[in-house]
Amino acid sequence: MVAPAMNPSHCLIGLRMTVRGALVGEEDLVVEGRVEGNITLSGHLLIAEGGVVESDVEVESADIHGHVIGDVAAAVAITIHPGASVHGNLRAPRIVIEDGAHFKGGVDMDVDLPEGLQRARGR
Amino acid sequence: MANTVIGSTIVIDGEISGDEGLVVHGTVKGKIDLAEKIEVAQGGVVEATIAARVVTVHGVVAGDIHASERADLRPESQVIGDIRSPRVLIADGAIFKGSVDMGNGG
Repeated sequence: MVAPAMNPSHCLIGLRMTVRGALVGEEDLVVEGRVEGNITLSGHLLIAEGGVVESDVEVESADIHGHVIGDVAAAVAITIHPGASVHGNLRAPRIVIEDGAHFKGGVDMDVDLPEGLQRARGR
Repeated sequence: MANTVIGSTIVIDGEISGDEGLVVHGTVKGKIDLAEKIEVAQGGVVEATIAARVVTVHGVVAGDIHASERADLRPESQVIGDIRSPRVLIADGAIFKGSVDMGNGG
């Protein structure tokens, strides 16, 4: 990663900005402000501390430091950092919830359960 | 001042509001309501009504523009819509179709 801030197409929703509606794109997005509407990205989503997303999110990967109300689906990984708060369901092959994060919802890592566990669940 | 940047591959269908600067490289459809400056960069497409303090267009705008201070259509810009602002600048090379209302100040 070379200085993403220098990238002219670096996308940022600033601190005092609100987006209502669908947001679709093929690049990384940083949310410091507020988004109320679905986010669909083939890139990385960073919700900064203080950032608020009230919508469903579908991205390549997500790092959450702020506040999310909605389902988050990622193709690669989701990380919920300390101080973040998430209400909704998570779906990704890799999900990390760090100490100090607040989370309420379901987690689906789409794993092939070990045989023993699978049998146990089947009962 | 922090700026919001809508990247070139981003499409927003809805409403953007706030009180900081906005730069649009991508596409915004709907409505933009700002207390600050908006710049539609070259390659940027705005199909929306724009209300802001200063509006600078290098790209394409289809929609009405209300700039409380200044509307600036740069040489490469294409604008279809009505412009309401006390100061309106249309540079040589800009393509514009619509009406201009500078109010009763002049």
